[in-house]
Amino acid sequence: MTQKRLYHNASLCNGCGICQLVCTLEHCRQWNHYQSRIKIVNDTERNAFYSVCCSHCEEAPCIMACLMNTIYKEPGSDITVRDLYHCIGCRACELACPFDAAVFDVIQEKVVNCDLCGGRPLCVEYCPNHALTYDYPEDQADKNRNQAASQKFGASLLEVFKFSGKEV
Amino acid sequence: MFGYAGKMLEVDLSTQNIKMRKLEPDFAKDYIGGIGFNARILYDEIPAGADPLGPENILVFSVGCLVGTPFPTASRMEVSAKSPLSNGFGSSNSGAFLGLRLKGAGYDGLIIKGQAQKPVYLLIEEDKVQIKEASFVWGRDAWESIDLLKARHYGAEVLLIGQAGENQVRFASIENGYYDGFGRTGMGAVMGSKKLKAVVIRGSKPIVPADPKGVLELSAKGQNLIKSASSYQAFCSYGTMNATIPYGGFNALSVHNYSRGTLPDWKQRAGRQIVDIYGSRHIACQSCIIACGHLAEITEGKYAGTLVKDMEITPTVSYSSNVGLSTEASIKSSELCQRYGIDMSSSGSVIAFAMELYQKGIINKDDVGYELAFGDDDAAFALLKDISLRQGIGDILAEGVKRAAEHWPGADDYAMHVKGVEIPMIDPRGRWSTWTLGILTNIRGGDHLRCRNPVEILRYNENLYYYQKERFGFKKPMYDRLDMPDDLKSAAIDLENDTVDIAVMSKWAEDLINLYNSVGICIRPPVMETIGPTILAELYTCMTGIPMNPDELMAGSERTWNLMKLFNLRHGEVADDSKFPRRFYRELQSGNIVDEDKVQAVLEQYWQVRGWNPGTGHPLPETEKRLGI
Repeated sequence: MTQKRLYHNASLCNGCGICQLVCTLEHCRQWNHYQSRIKIVNDTERNAFYSVCCSHCEEAPCIMACLMNTIYKEPGSDITVRDLYHCIGCRACELACPFDAAVFDVIQEKVVNCDLCGGRPLCVEYCPNHALTYDYPEDQADKNRNQAASQKFGASLLEVFKFSGKEV
Repeated sequence: MFGYAGKMLEVDLSTQNIKMRKLEPDFAKDYIGGIGFNARILYDEIPAGADPLGPENILVFSVGCLVGTPFPTASRMEVSAKSPLSNGFGSSNSGAFLGLRLKGAGYDGLIIKGQAQKPVYLLIEEDKVQIKEASFVWGRDAWESIDLLKARHYGAEVLLIGQAGENQVRFASIENGYYDGFGRTGMGAVMGSKKLKAVVIRGSKPIVPADPKGVLELSAKGQNLIKSASSYQAFCSYGTMNATIPYGGFNALSVHNYSRGTLPDWKQRAGRQIVDIYGSRHIACQSCIIACGHLAEITEGKYAGTLVKDMEITPTVSYSSNVGLSTEASIKSSELCQRYGIDMSSSGSVIAFAMELYQKGIINKDDVGYELAFGDDDAAFALLKDISLRQGIGDILAEGVKRAAEHWPGADDYAMHVKGVEIPMIDPRGRWSTWTLGILTNIRGGDHLRCRNPVEILRYNENLYYYQKERFGFKKPMYDRLDMPDDLKSAAIDLENDTVDIAVMSKWAEDLINLYNSVGICIRPPVMETIGPTILAELYTCMTGIPMNPDELMAGSERTWNLMKLFNLRHGEVADDSKFPRRFYRELQSGNIVDEDKVQAVLEQYWQVRGWNPGTGHPLPETEKRLGI
């Protein structure tokens, strides 16, 4: 079943970074620059802020790359979740992620991704300009993005998959 | 220690000695953060009579204690030193992402002492601090230097000086990244005198609040409060540009070195449509929900290709009205000022001063080397370059208007400054308000940013109350929601007669702004209107775990203000320094002059409200005792 996702509208974003602060405060109970599950990047060339966050890919490279099979789709939905108890922190999924959206949590020494705050994302609540929205995927944008990513990163992904011992 | 990073970094450039200074909880509670820390450190450690550009001066950067929370606008950081312009307490505030980064590197502040032998820059990577050689960026402008430094240190935040700071121009600024800066009171000259070109900061240590849930809840509450402010929507769309047209209408702009109050075509030069024409996207500082800064881009004409984040009232009034340049040239002037690393307000005033001297025949073409006239952008930019590089007449003007005026007989009448610091924006002859008294009472000299009525109304301009009062102009709901202690509120605001007592309100406004500078939030009107000590005290408690109530918070802010005043008095300030330039008292502007005696009466009343000696402006012993200085 398709679940709601985070969407970021670059034309409304001012780059204030409140989403990053609330994300780490919620998940880590402290502020730490590298532990935010969402990152806002200032692209000076294209003159826009864009967000880097787990987009819960349909055929997720991180799931394919995981050595311990700790990343999986939540039963009954299409959200990518992690079993951190069995995660060994090898960071293969971080390498595999075509969007650079997997975050290495320095406290737990494991890789984490956006868990959508269990269905009530705080970053969306706190975003002052409504640049972040929590909505159902209405169009094909996700699919196109996935295809483009696997075309672009396919070669390097294969290297990772070799170690995971999975059929691609 | 929760909330704070817990230590300050102390660097002695003379001996290359690097120390950590632990932050004591009592000190943190008494002085809160930001400007409070700066005031205490400077007061304790700079000897009387120290040369501002010598090795005895100390440059202190401190981050506000709420930086690192998602509370709206919590991003600010304060730099202080003995000012080379005023010889008193110099201080300047800036936002963007630098404060959070310094705190993330593990420091609440950065104390720079001594003087290096040759150009250096400071590299802070969490616990690893190095003093590195900076000859590859020395002599380059700020933007080039940032590119070079960022190429060496990926992902770092940079604060640095341009050529003006290197040449110790007395009103040089410290630049914070490309577009922001610590502008006023010549902090860049102090940094230049220490031969410190830049501070490069990297790091991502955690900032741990005592009660993260509480911080999140209060931040959401703060967002809702600020969004409910009457000026919020206007500020989101147009930033400080909103105020340009009312002040033009009041004849209260600084036009052509204060010889006039407004320009006939001011409505075409400034105002909201300028943002619509040149502005592209909004840029926020850390945690800001207002995002008043716009990127301004000029796509065609003489200055095509200029891209700056400055569609603000300060550069517009300094260059477009004071020097008289066209709008596009004033946008270009922002870029030049940021590249040279020079204060936009002061440099505009100095150029206008030189142009008026030229007009009056006090200086001539032989002195300058080219012709000067109001509105001539080529001449203005050539003079700006000369000042920044200290060439020709620029060497004299780089000393600021007060010192430059001593070079030419008769020039004194045109030097528009208070305590040596050039007055940037507003003419008290056009509008008398809490804001204009603030220019006089400001610790850092002729400046408009440390005293504003939190609910200033720009619809009326009535000067009927003999300087003691101004119009309140709002209804009871606004009065009720204003976060002030009740007794003070009824003393400051008279609802029946619809007036505000300027002396009482000045003290409150200064303490409030000082509190904002201590906790590290911004003084934009939507914030001033809605955020008071109550919510800040709650947030302070959640952030640091130190119990704090609103009265203690305001007392902390007042303590800092008194300490800065004592610093000024120790370094030679006298009661006569709190005077406007003679021009405001003598020369008519749209039919008005400022009445010297009445201004003096309000000032004395203000001193009394502050608990200072009404004759001399010295804090009384009982005031010092009450605040525990």
